[in-house]
Amino acid sequence: MSSKLRDAASANDEECALDMSPMIDMVFLLLIFFVVNSNAVIVKQDVKVRPPIASFGKKQEDKNGRIVVNVLPDGSFTTERGEALEDETAIFDMVKKAKEQNDLKGYKSKLHLRGDKDAVFKHSRKAIAASAGAGVDQVMFATFVTSK
Amino acid sequence: MARHRKYQGAEEAMPALDISSLIDVCFLLLIYFLVATSIQKKEVDVPLALPAAAPNDAEMPDIDPLFIKVDANGAIFTGAGSSQQMLDTDTSSREVPQLSQQLQLYVAGANSGGKKPLVQIWVDGGSNQQRVIDVLNALVGAGISSVTFTDLVD
Repeated sequence: MSSKLRDAASANDEECALDMSPMIDMVFLLLIFFVVNSNAVIVKQDVKVRPPIASFGKKQEDKNGRIVVNVLPDGSFTTERGEALEDETAIFDMVKKAKEQNDLKGYKSKLHLRGDKDAVFKHSRKAIAASAGAGVDQVMFATFVTSK
Repeated sequence: MARHRKYQGAEEAMPALDISSLIDVCFLLLIYFLVATSIQKKEVDVPLALPAAAPNDAEMPDIDPLFIKVDANGAIFTGAGSSQQMLDTDTSSREVPQLSQQLQLYVAGANSGGKKPLVQIWVDGGSNQQRVIDVLNALVGAGISSVTFTDLVD
């Protein structure tokens, strides 16, 4: 065997390997970042509603039993899924149905009112009154702690 | 030389951990979080009990409730009738210092008598949501949990 052939054979033995360790490091870093930063969604937030600011607001803890009504700046109402609620009667029906479902599951119903900060309060009052009529007397006003 | 070749062969057969499945799992988790995460500000709650949830006649409080009024322009008043006082009127500020001060005094007075502070709010329908939340926020800050709206029917 010539020396050239021997050299070629030894080169084939050293396989070209990709060093995966920096990539694994990066993946772990990204994973830890997302695990630490992610928050469980309590309710689906409609981006058209900009909630008011309340510095003493309490952290949302329990997801169960919340019945969401969005009050848009123009005074119209939508559900958590974005379905339009025409008037107080529609809110009453929706809240009553949701309350019945919550009662079956053993959850205490509460109105999660996402009112736009610039909406006139009479619209929120309509939603509160309709909910009270349907038997839901706890209201959670959705707010932000700061404007930033 | 023969002994050396034998040693090399033993080194190649060293047990190695296959980490490819670990990387797969990590990537799956990463993709899950990338897809599931949405960059949204975190909302907080300002709780309120409606009159229906307030104590009934049999448990009527023995303290005069503090009456708070918010008018259509966002001005905040306390008291009723001749004792009505105009407090904070600056709707551009999220702070309501005069109301907060009055609430502190009211809470201190109630606590010294061993009574539970109680607040009734009347809001003009033309007032905006932010101003009502300013008032409710001040109540939460003062530690008042018994709050009722007296104006749910126009």
